[in-house]
Amino acid sequence: MNFNNVSKRIEKIKFALLSPDEIRKMSQVRVITPDTYDDDGYPIERGLMDLHMGVIEPGLKCATCGGKVDECPGHFGHIELAMPVVHIGFIKEIKTMLDSACKSCGRIKLTDDEINTYRKTVNNMDFKTDDPEIIDLTLKKITEIAAQRNICPHCNAESPKVILDKPTTFREGGIKITPKEIRERLERIPDDDLLFFGLNKETARPEWMVLAVLPVPPIDVRPSITLETGERSEDDLTHKLVDIIRISQRLRESRDNGSPQLIIEDLWDLLQYHTTTYFDNQTAGIPPARHRSGRALKTLVQRLKGKEGRFRANLSGKRVNFSSRSVISPEPFLSMNEVGIPEVAARELTVPVLVNSFNIDKIKEWIKRGATPRTSDGKYLAGVNYLIRPDGRRIKVTDQNAEINSGRVDIGWTIERQMTEGDTVLFNRQPSLHRMSMMAHTVRVLPGLTFRFNLADCTPYNADFDGDEMNLHVIQGEESRAEARIIMKVQEQILSPRFGGPIIGAIHDHITSLFLLTHKNPLYTEDETLHMISYINIDKMPEPVIMNNKKYYHGRDIFSLILPEGLNIKFKSHLCAGSNGKCEYEDTIEDSYVVINDGKLIHGTIDDEAVGPFSGIIVDKIFRKFGPEVAAKFVDNVTRLAVGFLSYRGFSTGIKDYDIPKDAISRIEEISNETLDKINKLVEAFRSGHLQQLPGRSMDDTLEVEILGETGSVRDESGKIASSYLGLNDPSVIMARSGARAKMLNIAEVAGMVGQQSVRGGRLNRGYANRTLSHFRENDLGAYARGFIKSSYRSGLNPTEYFFHSIGGREGLVDIAVRTSRSGYMQRRLINAFEDLKVDPERRVQDTIGSIVQFKYGEDGIDPTRSDEGETVDVDYVVYDEFGDEK
Amino acid sequence: MKALLWKDTKANIEKIIQNAPCYYGIDYIPGKNVSSGYITTDKSNFEYEVKISSIEEFKKSDKVLLKKKTGLKAIIKIENVRKIDKIPLSDFKLNENLNEIKTFAEGERFVVDYKEKDEASLSNEQKEVMDDAESRGYHIPLSLADKLIKYKKSLPEDKYEKLLKRIDSELKKREIDPYEAVGIIAAQSIGEPGTQMTMRTFHFAGVVEMNVTLGLPRLIEIVDARRIPSTPSMTIYLNDEYKHNEEKVRGLIKNLENTAIIDVADIITDVGEMDLTIKLDKLKSNERLVTLTDILSALEKIKGIIYNQMDDERILVKLQQESFKKLYQTQEQLKSTPIKGVNKISRAIARLDPKEGAWVIYTQGSNLKDVLNMEGVDATRTYTNDIIEVENVLGVEAARNAIYREAENTLSEQGLNVDKRHLMLVSDMMTFSGAVRAVGRQGISGRKSSVLARAAFEITSKHLLKAGLLGEIDPLAGVAENIIVGQPVTLGTGAIDLVYKGNKK
Repeated sequence: MNFNNVSKRIEKIKFALLSPDEIRKMSQVRVITPDTYDDDGYPIERGLMDLHMGVIEPGLKCATCGGKVDECPGHFGHIELAMPVVHIGFIKEIKTMLDSACKSCGRIKLTDDEINTYRKTVNNMDFKTDDPEIIDLTLKKITEIAAQRNICPHCNAESPKVILDKPTTFREGGIKITPKEIRERLERIPDDDLLFFGLNKETARPEWMVLAVLPVPPIDVRPSITLETGERSEDDLTHKLVDIIRISQRLRESRDNGSPQLIIEDLWDLLQYHTTTYFDNQTAGIPPARHRSGRALKTLVQRLKGKEGRFRANLSGKRVNFSSRSVISPEPFLSMNEVGIPEVAARELTVPVLVNSFNIDKIKEWIKRGATPRTSDGKYLAGVNYLIRPDGRRIKVTDQNAEINSGRVDIGWTIERQMTEGDTVLFNRQPSLHRMSMMAHTVRVLPGLTFRFNLADCTPYNADFDGDEMNLHVIQGEESRAEARIIMKVQEQILSPRFGGPIIGAIHDHITSLFLLTHKNPLYTEDETLHMISYINIDKMPEPVIMNNKKYYHGRDIFSLILPEGLNIKFKSHLCAGSNGKCEYEDTIEDSYVVINDGKLIHGTIDDEAVGPFSGIIVDKIFRKFGPEVAAKFVDNVTRLAVGFLSYRGFSTGIKDYDIPKDAISRIEEISNETLDKINKLVEAFRSGHLQQLPGRSMDDTLEVEILGETGSVRDESGKIASSYLGLNDPSVIMARSGARAKMLNIAEVAGMVGQQSVRGGRLNRGYANRTLSHFRENDLGAYARGFIKSSYRSGLNPTEYFFHSIGGREGLVDIAVRTSRSGYMQRRLINAFEDLKVDPERRVQDTIGSIVQFKYGEDGIDPTRSDEGETVDVDYVVYDEFGDEK
Repeated sequence: MKALLWKDTKANIEKIIQNAPCYYGIDYIPGKNVSSGYITTDKSNFEYEVKISSIEEFKKSDKVLLKKKTGLKAIIKIENVRKIDKIPLSDFKLNENLNEIKTFAEGERFVVDYKEKDEASLSNEQKEVMDDAESRGYHIPLSLADKLIKYKKSLPEDKYEKLLKRIDSELKKREIDPYEAVGIIAAQSIGEPGTQMTMRTFHFAGVVEMNVTLGLPRLIEIVDARRIPSTPSMTIYLNDEYKHNEEKVRGLIKNLENTAIIDVADIITDVGEMDLTIKLDKLKSNERLVTLTDILSALEKIKGIIYNQMDDERILVKLQQESFKKLYQTQEQLKSTPIKGVNKISRAIARLDPKEGAWVIYTQGSNLKDVLNMEGVDATRTYTNDIIEVENVLGVEAARNAIYREAENTLSEQGLNVDKRHLMLVSDMMTFSGAVRAVGRQGISGRKSSVLARAAFEITSKHLLKAGLLGEIDPLAGVAENIIVGQPVTLGTGAIDLVYKGNKK
């Protein structure tokens, strides 16, 4: 019977302190020699590399379990310290115990009555679920009462105050208490009093916090490495252990032959120092132990702590096999569910297939093909890289042994097949800020060396193609594959859980293209139409319009081909956006109001609002009504149709988009001069003190606010003038108005005026003493001296303007750098705090200990992904969808 | 079965507790079949639960305890009395207290005619629509009732029925999946747009004169549950009497703004004469509507000085005990002596709010408790952006709403669209324990039950060492700890055990 498929689960992990007895019990060897290897490179017996603690060299066998390098898990050893030393991690606890427990009888210095009352409170506390902060506070209060008391109520002995001389020395009335003495005192504390100190009597005894025996970690934990020169280099931990053993030995010798107390104490302190740094080499108050090169040693705490520590770098996140990384590039002819993978990657990445009676013949055929099979016309075919026998042995398949191996394979073996079209893989781009940063794609093997995908997937990954790289993971198990296909596939992620709208949609040129196709509903000849339709997967023609005995087709009818039947929507297009509900093109209702009836575009312009990411009303409604498959097909067709149309029509933008007539330029000149005048007047008023002060602002602030207002309005004004000469036949304007790229503001900057540059929300004011640049007068508050740019990008900036513009640009760059780190940390904290919340079958939100956070998720139990942009159900749309306009 | 609820004095309740079981005379006749009851001292809290075994008409007897001396109508026999301990919200754990609470709520409803908050605020029309839908077998949430009112009138019966059916099916389709990792989704939905926010700390929130922290720094501040936000500010709405009266609003502002002597006057120290002169600054004092008399009355409270008005803009201050040290101290003390206004509010500005159609006061600095007590303030709507202050003054439920509202405002001001459910979850998670907890190692993350999860987040060694002392047990119930040990997490598909049982041959 094969038990490999029975999944086991670790139920719980219990933490405890190691007692000296336990350390000795689990130890396989008592280490006494501070050396590692002898001259032949063989581990010294009872040394730090003793074979009882595991093996790291091939060829040797573990003296404890007899296992070889990969088989032996490693075993602990131990060091008997000559004198006890305190454990640096428990200094605080030791201090409270010395303070609050009686020196001579060991009881906590509380009266019996107090003990009885406090015991009740302490017993009522649940260390597992109660707020640890409150537990800490309660315990602190109790121990503090005991610490205040000088005379023990139980034995009437007097205890002087204990002072902690950081980091590890305790003094009582100026005299040092040796760790040995501390240990003796801690031993006297009875089990029943331990709870008051926050110790669990079943797992910890206070005297164990003073070390008499030190466990030596297995060699596997601290392997030595051999440099190219043949020189051995030991791990930091080994170095530290060598120090400890050496000092411990010297201390023992000194003690045994009766050296002066002073020498013994010095050695004892040294031993304390080494054990302290062995645990934590960043303890405050002591210099970190260093290598000969001056690099601080990485000891136990350093191994665990921080981003590069064991927890975050090796346990919470791991390196993986079956993954690949490459540059990405666009490919509109792929479906949004697909990813194009270079052949070299496909040959290297494999999928395990268990051989069974149903597939054995096919698999034998695959193996026979060798390592790099191709069809007769040179196309990629998947081969087999490895055979895995039931005992776990791997056999590499080469072109030479393919035939033989094909015969050897049998039921129960596993083969590692190269990737083939249709395999499901995970595709990811960092930073992975939301779940759409990792989605499942279907493989297509393509020539070339980059990963390729449909442009609609750019938004969720936040990818562009200026050199971005992405990661790909091949799924190895059937369960994971099923989950990836059902949950993680791109089409399942069209709607974003953040706002309940589509995050996948057409971008840039695709939007421009559909805008041109549908705006004003142009006519196309049969040839042109056929060209466009040849790009999409549809084999019917729209209704023709006959003119002059020739067939013509409307752009909107062509677009309607890719809409599913039964779709009804009505909405305003992006053309209307920004005008506060009122449409600028109110008279041409035809273009601005999109009406789709039973999958036919009646009128309206298709643009960002209809198919773009974040807004994409059509994509949204199709997904909800017809499901992910239809929505994916629609997006695929949108990209294809857009490319098809643009490949016929062409689209280009350039500097001439921003040409405006002479009189427009002079008008802009005029208003900018007016503004300069106004600003000068403001400055004058400010100088003479006649400026009307704003309430709650200083005079200086008032001036700045007023001037900023002026410069802002002149930019808007010049933008208006410029854009009044630029119409919808101007490519740049088309892009801005359709929502494909840029805003009208950017066009205003290019054609009209760049305007005021700012740093930290104010005008530029730093640089030289009281002026921004050396060729302005000191304290010049005028427009030009403080970063006003009256030129447009098109006319070009003069040197000062260019410099000021760079200052403003630099602020933006700094802002991004600061923002990413700050928001990254915020998100890490958010995720960490919320990761355990889940919805139970009653739609309550629960955490791990079963506390209820919400009695109904989101107060209505509705999934935000499936909500209508946050609304439970958009009743108006349901009515429109069911009954249309007539009701 | 009915429950009884009455208000009684503390002394009476104690008498009952001491003598129970006992007979007790009350001043009204309860309905039949009453078998239990609740006693309260203050109407809002149910403090004691009693078991009632019989009800009789009132007659004089020595055995009967009396509620009061006259006007008694019935005698009830009280079997036993139980004190009801308040259950903090954090103790609402599955299978433990939940059942108890359910029955308690029922008892409560029978007699006091308890209404759910939603239900109480329903308009007749809304109620009609919801009841109508209920009678057809569909449950319509309140949020949809408003819209349906319109269609119930305009649509013919068959179409309306069809609409209800469609909405019902939509609701079922849209329900959140069990075991969905809603926490992670919420965290991502708030964290991801963080990268798109501005860092620009200051922004003018509609009012030119007022600075308010916005964008990413503000969001971090909210999530951190800072004790004092970097720009505390209040929005004070006024009651009907004040809100259209500019005169009164000006007066209110005068009383709001915290003005110290140094804000309106110069203090001149004469070391030779050992005295101080307060010289009123006309410009500043006019702006703040402060007169010399105001200063004089403020000086009354200061001990150890003798003061005299010299002329209409100067006050001479002398010390009772002359010493240079004292002189210096007095000078410093005078500077910060408040003349008028509310503590901590440094500036107040009134605006004619177009949406409101009335005056609204905005302040820099926040002091909710004192402002709510002022005359003319609409205490039901007045608001501060200081979450901790809201918690202290109005309680944790108000703080929960404040967190939600602040986060929502911050995000929407940046033009970012984040579903309200995510923000609700964040604010609920931050407050469900009964106090506002920060997101981070000081708050939620530091109090996780799992040692491994805490160690993986921050301050690794401290948590591991502590776990050893306490003998903590990590139940491996959360996400981080299961990832660490390398087994499926307990959310989503990992929450379900699915085993395929093949056909037996």
